[in-house]
Amino acid sequence: MNLKSKLIKPTGLASLVILLFLLPLFVKQPYYIHIFIVTMLYIIVVSSLRTIALSGQVSVGHAAFMGIGGYFSGVVAKELGLTPWLTIPLGGLAAMLIAVLIGYPFTRVRAIYFSMVSLFGGIVIVDIIRVAQKWTGAAGLAGIPPLSPINIPGLINITFLGQKVPYYYFTLALTLVCLLILYRVEHCRVGMTWKAIAQSHLVASSVGINEAWFRVLALAVGCFFAGIAGACYAHYNLVLAPTTFGFLPSIFLVMYMLVGGRDSFAGPIIGTAILLIVPELFRWLKEFAPLILGAIMVIVVFLMPQGIAGLFDQIKAKYGQVRNRKVPENAA
Amino acid sequence: MLLETNGLTKYFGGLAAVSHLDIYVNQGEIVGLIGPNGAGKTTAFNLITGVLRPTRGEIIFDGKEITGKKPHLIAKMGIGRTFQLASLFADFTVLENVVASFYLYPKSGFWEAMFNTSTYRKKEGYILNQAREILHLVGLDKVKDELAKNLPHGYQKVLGVARALAVKPRLLLLDEPIAGMTREEISFALGAFEKMRLQGMTILLVEHNMEIMSLCDRIIVLNFGHKIAEGLPGEVRQNEDVVQAYFGSEHAA
Amino acid sequence: MSPELLAQVAVNALMLSSMYILVALGFALLLSVMRILNFAHAVIYMVGGYICYQLAVVYGINQWLSLVLTALIVGSFGLFLERYCFRPFFGDMNRIIVMTLAIIIILESAVNAAVGSYVRAIPSFAPGVIRSGGVSLSVERLVTLIIGTALTLMLIFFIQKTKIGQQMLAISQDSIGAALQGINIYRVSAIATVIACALAAVAGSLMGAILHIHPFIGDYMLVKAIVIVILAGIGSIGGVLGAGLILGTIDASLPLVLSGSATDAVGFGIVILILLFRPQGLFGHEA
Repeated sequence: MNLKSKLIKPTGLASLVILLFLLPLFVKQPYYIHIFIVTMLYIIVVSSLRTIALSGQVSVGHAAFMGIGGYFSGVVAKELGLTPWLTIPLGGLAAMLIAVLIGYPFTRVRAIYFSMVSLFGGIVIVDIIRVAQKWTGAAGLAGIPPLSPINIPGLINITFLGQKVPYYYFTLALTLVCLLILYRVEHCRVGMTWKAIAQSHLVASSVGINEAWFRVLALAVGCFFAGIAGACYAHYNLVLAPTTFGFLPSIFLVMYMLVGGRDSFAGPIIGTAILLIVPELFRWLKEFAPLILGAIMVIVVFLMPQGIAGLFDQIKAKYGQVRNRKVPENAA
Repeated sequence: MLLETNGLTKYFGGLAAVSHLDIYVNQGEIVGLIGPNGAGKTTAFNLITGVLRPTRGEIIFDGKEITGKKPHLIAKMGIGRTFQLASLFADFTVLENVVASFYLYPKSGFWEAMFNTSTYRKKEGYILNQAREILHLVGLDKVKDELAKNLPHGYQKVLGVARALAVKPRLLLLDEPIAGMTREEISFALGAFEKMRLQGMTILLVEHNMEIMSLCDRIIVLNFGHKIAEGLPGEVRQNEDVVQAYFGSEHAA
Repeated sequence: MSPELLAQVAVNALMLSSMYILVALGFALLLSVMRILNFAHAVIYMVGGYICYQLAVVYGINQWLSLVLTALIVGSFGLFLERYCFRPFFGDMNRIIVMTLAIIIILESAVNAAVGSYVRAIPSFAPGVIRSGGVSLSVERLVTLIIGTALTLMLIFFIQKTKIGQQMLAISQDSIGAALQGINIYRVSAIATVIACALAAVAGSLMGAILHIHPFIGDYMLVKAIVIVILAGIGSIGGVLGAGLILGTIDASLPLVLSGSATDAVGFGIVILILLFRPQGLFGHEA
């Protein structure tokens, strides 16, 4: 690769990040800021879903772990009066713990059966949340405290209550950090081991890889970040409803990942962004809006085998073919 | 004895795939496990490497019992293996296949990996070098960046061996290593095995192809899950039961 | 518990089981023959209910005729599904999943947009009550139970005795081997899809008369089907019967003492326990 192409990706990324940081200067309507905040949180969740999927396990119950993080953090902050800055990481840990506990028996199950079982698991987790009405509220959890203000006298005083912009920056920073961590994990030995297990569990165990351990690890990591995102959502939205984390949302998460492209790190990011933001643009269609979603999906399924993220490679491959056909005329 | 099985038996439902198998392999030997299709050779391998649990019997490796242990633990103890089919990580490149197989050596800590410290990079570099050496040894270094699934069949089998070597095994189990190879690939492979033997590797291999017999110190013949003959290649070739087994099975096919 | 209550619960259990089994069998069929996790089965069930409603209520066609017509219409939709939505992507799990999800979204929102999400009911197929030995039972539920059982038996007969059924079994065990033996996988898959869709449509219509229909009733059924298939085990079509009975009985009896959510939680506990001791499901083979 020559120097020019090596620099394109990082420069593009850097510009995007800078743009995102400057966004609130141009976009003033709180509603649009809200869309961005929610999209970023979901990007964390879908990316963490993909991390689990690296090991060959496609969880169709992932939204439930977002819910565990959200409810745990929300309830603890509300009932015990702890600051959300503390309860959010606790929410992540709670989700991770549950994932490990119920995940272990599921790691013995192969691919498609894992998906089915995770779907069931997701539903039941939400049912348990519903049953625990005493803490989680009959129709939902309300009165969740917002992020406590950051107050360093003389330096900064940021209040989160009632303001969208501070939440935006918080979420942006959080998303960048989470994505960075997920990226690193995927590209170090652990990620390679996950991919090895996904390709052939027989070969993987023959080289000493403890398949069960790594599958649980993938679940733990993925659900931790889902929990964190869920907890942040709780302290942003200030109310939670069980339906947000149920069966259909879990399926949507898988969809965002697949439409964006399961094979690349950017896939979930692109998929989530497009599938969350585009229908918003068509909001005026009201109950016909989901049809746009369906249409996008059908187009992607038929035209883009590797998802939207793979589109670039697809075009490059086709363009490359055309270019190569011209070469023989110039060859010596 | 490096490897020993006693009364190894495996039933699938009512059918005995392997029955009262007593075999042994000494350090530094190349032993061939031969028999017609369905004789139980791959099952025996799967039992030894922990992929299947025996119904009865025991397996002892280097003095320690490994019966029924999980496959990854057995790999840790020093047994490497190849598979008849699906011997690779298909979507990885050749180099990545071997690098991924270096799972057991030397492990970096979590934080070192996360922050890409120089220790981590040094260790990864070490693994990369070892991987390149193995590929050079088996002659695959030219294709190291090809996707494993795009390789011709013979190369894939060699890659399987390279991958198994990454475990730094004391005992190597090869399942039909030269099946489907061309003439030249076969002579190259035989040369590589001879080289490995000279370096002290112990090999137990399964084959159909009688040609591999010339390489082996000793041959064990299986049929219908039983051991029906054992001895030097020359002896076995002339053994009546063995000829029956092969001759007979040819007719059945 | 009074004998009447017991009898009613028993009938409910069997009826619910038979409906669950109808949907789950179709789902399991598609899973084992085509290796497809057909999320769209949810909407097939729902669409069946709506079409029957359209025919019986809006067009005033005789109910039983409507039921048969619904099965035919949805069955043929199955042909379309297999040919244009599944077949092009055989083997590519990712795209098939997105495809089935797209189908759910499109159909659910189309129905929602077209006729609104309020709840309707299909008029009873067999109104009335039977009284016998001091116990009164709903004829509707009995008839549904009978139809469900009959269809299930027919399907089992079909799989075990007809050539195509045997081909389906062969494909489910080894699709490559089956193809090598000359079995036309596409044709068998098409037939499997048609059967699965027709069964789901009938279940949707019958349940629509007992409960109700709205655009999202399929979601609930899909979950039941998946749970049953998990419990039944890998590659076991017969196990679906047992698992369906278990689930139907649980769902008919537990709600008398526990809330709906708690019932699910109990079920989950059972499934986890089962999977811990038998990772291959109740009736499955070793993975």
